[in-house]
Order: sequence, then C-alpha cells, then structure tokens
Amino acid sequence: MVGLSISEQHFVKGGIAQDLRTDGRKRLTYRPIYVETGVIPQANGSARVRIGGTDVIASVKAEIGRPSSLQPDKGKVAVFIDCSPTAEPTFGGRGGEELSSELALALQRCLLGGKSGAGAGINLSLLVIKEGKVCWDLYIDGLVISSDGNLLDALGAAIKAALANTAIPKVNVSTEVADNEQPEIDISDEEYQQFDTSGVPVIVTLTKVGTHYIADATAEEESQMSSAVSISVNRSGHICGLTKRGGSGLDPSVILDMISVAKHVSETLMNKLDSEISAAEACEDES
Amino acid sequence: MAAKQGAAATTYSPKPLVRTRPPIFKDSDLDWTRPDGRGFHQCRPALLQTGAVSSASGSAYAEFGNTKVIVSVFGPRESKKAMSYSDVGRLNCDVTYTTFASTGTDHKEFSSMLHKALEGVIMMESFPKTTVDVFALVLESGGSDLPVVISCASLALADAGIMMYDLITAVSVSCIGKSLMIDPVTEEEGCEDGSFTMTCMPSRYEITQLTITGEWTTPNINEAMQLCLDACSKLGEIMRDCLKQAASASEELT
Repeated sequence: MVGLSISEQHFVKGGIAQDLRTDGRKRLTYRPIYVETGVIPQANGSARVRIGGTDVIASVKAEIGRPSSLQPDKGKVAVFIDCSPTAEPTFGGRGGEELSSELALALQRCLLGGKSGAGAGINLSLLVIKEGKVCWDLYIDGLVISSDGNLLDALGAAIKAALANTAIPKVNVSTEVADNEQPEIDISDEEYQQFDTSGVPVIVTLTKVGTHYIADATAEEESQMSSAVSISVNRSGHICGLTKRGGSGLDPSVILDMISVAKHVSETLMNKLDSEISAAEACEDES
Repeated sequence: MAAKQGAAATTYSPKPLVRTRPPIFKDSDLDWTRPDGRGFHQCRPALLQTGAVSSASGSAYAEFGNTKVIVSVFGPRESKKAMSYSDVGRLNCDVTYTTFASTGTDHKEFSSMLHKALEGVIMMESFPKTTVDVFALVLESGGSDLPVVISCASLALADAGIMMYDLITAVSVSCIGKSLMIDPVTEEEGCEDGSFTMTCMPSRYEITQLTITGEWTTPNINEAMQLCLDACSKLGEIMRDCLKQAASASEELT
C-alpha cells in the first residue's frame, strides 16, 4: 500500500491535470520498457519485462495432453499468475490470491478471445498434434517480482515476449492406430517450431485520476485512481478484450474515448515492444 | 415479508437503431434465426419478483427465459470474521450454481465480478463496521447468467433497504459473425465470436462494469454499447415498477 499525505495527493493529481506527472512524463507516455528473453532454462519460453519499478517474469511450458471432448480440434492454454508477498506485503494471503485470479482472468480474456476462438492471440488449432487424441497444453505462468503499478500491461508484455521466445519440439505421430487407442508419439530433440506471435495483443491500461486518464500509472498514481480500464488491442487495431476495475462509474462517451486513445497508444507500445523483443532475442543468440 | 408480491413479465428490448447509412447486409442475407425465435435485438421477457425468501433482509427472484436466479441479501450485520475496524461497510458476494443448473462449466469468477459490479453503487459509508452478504443462486442456467444475477442482486438490495446511488442493471450482447445479438441464450454463448457485458446505472447514465472478450471493431462496440444502454434503462424501469408494486401491495395489507 502506498501512503500519501494530503499534499502529496494534491501534487500527484495536480501534475496529472497539467499533463506533467511526478516523474516528468506526459499523461499518455510509458516508462521505459526493458525486455530480457530466455531467463528460465527449464521452460519452453520465458521473458522478463521491466517497466519502471514493475518487474515481472512470464514462462511458457508445453506439455503433451488430450484435447477436451468439446473442442477436439483445439489445444489448451491456461494462464496462472502469482503475486508473491516478496513484492509487496499486501500480496500475502487472500489479498494476493484475489489479485492473482483477477489478473489471470483479465489476461485469459485478452489472450484467448471469444468462445469460437475469434480474436484469440494464440491460435489454438496450431497446438493440435492429432485431432481428438493428442495436443499441446500450454501453461503460461506469470510471476510478479516487484510491483510499481500497471501490473496487467507488464504481464501482457511479458507473456507476448515469452511466447515469441517459445520453441516447441516437433512431434511425430505414428499413423496407424485404432480409433480407441492413444497413438504413439515421438518428440524430436532437434527440430523445434516457433510461434507466430504477431496476433498476440498488447494491453493498455488507462487509469482515471480526477477528470483525466493516464497510461502506465505508478503505484502512487494508482492509489489515487477512481477507475481503470484495461484494453487489449491487436496489430490490426481491433479490440480483443476489455476489463474495468474500480468501483466508480464512467460515462459511456468517456469509455469510447478511452478505447480510441488506447488504440493510438497501443500502436507505439506494440512497435516498441516488438523491437525490444527482437533485440532481446538477438542478444540471447549471441551469448 | 411473504406478502410482497410484485410480479411483472415485460420485455426490455432496446428500440431499433436509427441507421444513418444503409445496412451493408440485407436481412435476407441472414439465413438463420435465433434458437428461441427472437429478433436479434429482442430481449427475453423478464419476470421479476421481490420477497422470495422470508428469512432474508431482502430477496428477489428473476426469470429471464430459462435463466432462473434467486438472490437473497442478509444484513447489514456484524462482520463474522474478526476484522479490523472499518468506517465503511463491507460487501460479501457469492454466486453459486445448483448441481442441476448447467452441464459442466463452473463460474468461479462470477462472485468477484458481482462484487465489482455492486461495490460502486452501494453507499458503503451508510453501514460502517458491518457486512452485507449477497448470496445468489442460479437455479437454471439459460444464458446471460451474470447479467441476470447482477440485476436481480440490485433488486434484492433495494428490497432490503440498503442505500444505493441507483438501481443497477446489466445486459450482455453476443457477436456472431457480423450480427449482434442481445441477451444471448446458452447455445448462442457457446458459439459466439465475442461477448460484451455491461452493467450500468440507468438514471445516472454511468457504466459501472464493462467486460469485452473476442475480437471487436469500433463500430461494433459503439453499436453494442447503444443497444445495452437502451436495454439497461428499460430494464431499470421494469425493476422500478416491480419495487413500486411490492410497496403498494404491502401498504394495502397494513
């Protein structure tokens, strides 16, 4: 929790009203983003993203599983988020659990799209090895190491980077098998395939403080928020998910305005993130 | 309490949109109809009733098509867990499904989503140190469960006399292909490309909760929002009528 005195609160709010925030940013500017990929050798893909004082790690693990009977032509993806109490004492116990499940739900909403799979960041049908029999189960785990506001955007960016870093082994399936038997599979050690992450959206959270809204709020600024809207936008500029936090109501026109602003901000963020990811990948290849 | 009978089965469909441009797709291009034969912008009839549970401070029963929900509100009462002093009240929400309500899917997130939808509308400072419990039970899941639960919960809170800034109403819209359908049923929810759920305070014209999944273009979002806002304000009227009927029925008895 951030404890701010009354004068500090006025300072934060006044700065936002004048488009000059406490750290010198404008209302819609992000803090510098640092991306590091391949930080966890045991995982199929991983990334660490730092946005100012916020530090998160995302890892992607792939396991062989069975597709569900309802959707035999699709693989499965599960998102788990862990807010460790080492980042902030309030994350201990139930507070952390609630926040973790809220973040995981929001990320799942943004990444997996609708029930029919439209707007999904990850194409689930690419995860199928043999229809109805074998598929990949992707486990996406996010860990919050240090929290200084804007966790959702950081986690979204980390997951995007981790997916870009993910290499899934090629699998050969024996063709002749009776209908009711599981086919034999052979996981290759040498050949890997990469994901196409161009469809993975970025998440932009606009936090409303006073009458204005800001992008990439710090923990100090978040303590003064009335409500926040997280919008995930993909490369083609379509909205893939939206969640609202905070109890106070918003005028419909403000929400529509936020959506158009988020679209604009997401373009810059997406380009920045893509160049950071490719730089991190290149850096990892060299070492 | 049991005498509070206010039944009203009315529909709250939004008015047809006035289009400034000619539609790209003629109606004849749409070669399918909704499972229950409704129009795309037509809502299921809403049956609302207060005072469903006599032991609760306030309760409501809602039946929207096959979706049947009962919500009871207890309190404000002493916080059960030994918690530190708080000068605002606490809200505790729980949404459960009966074992026969639906097949398979459990909705663990609904409790926290109901909490988030309600916390902004209740005047928490009006009951310091105490807790209000909102228990929702979905008797039968027939699609659009969460919006029905939210609307029903707000009616139950009003029945319990908990102070609120406004009644809240919730409506969801499904996007399948190019068309938007209001108040989807389970079959439609199963094959939707995107879903849009909005909770709003109709009199204050404010949105308290909004969730969007799937891929949406901006014109679609605009249209869905207009549909929801209109349907929400009409549902608000229905809920108000239901409360008025219940109040006049109890006046006659005394």
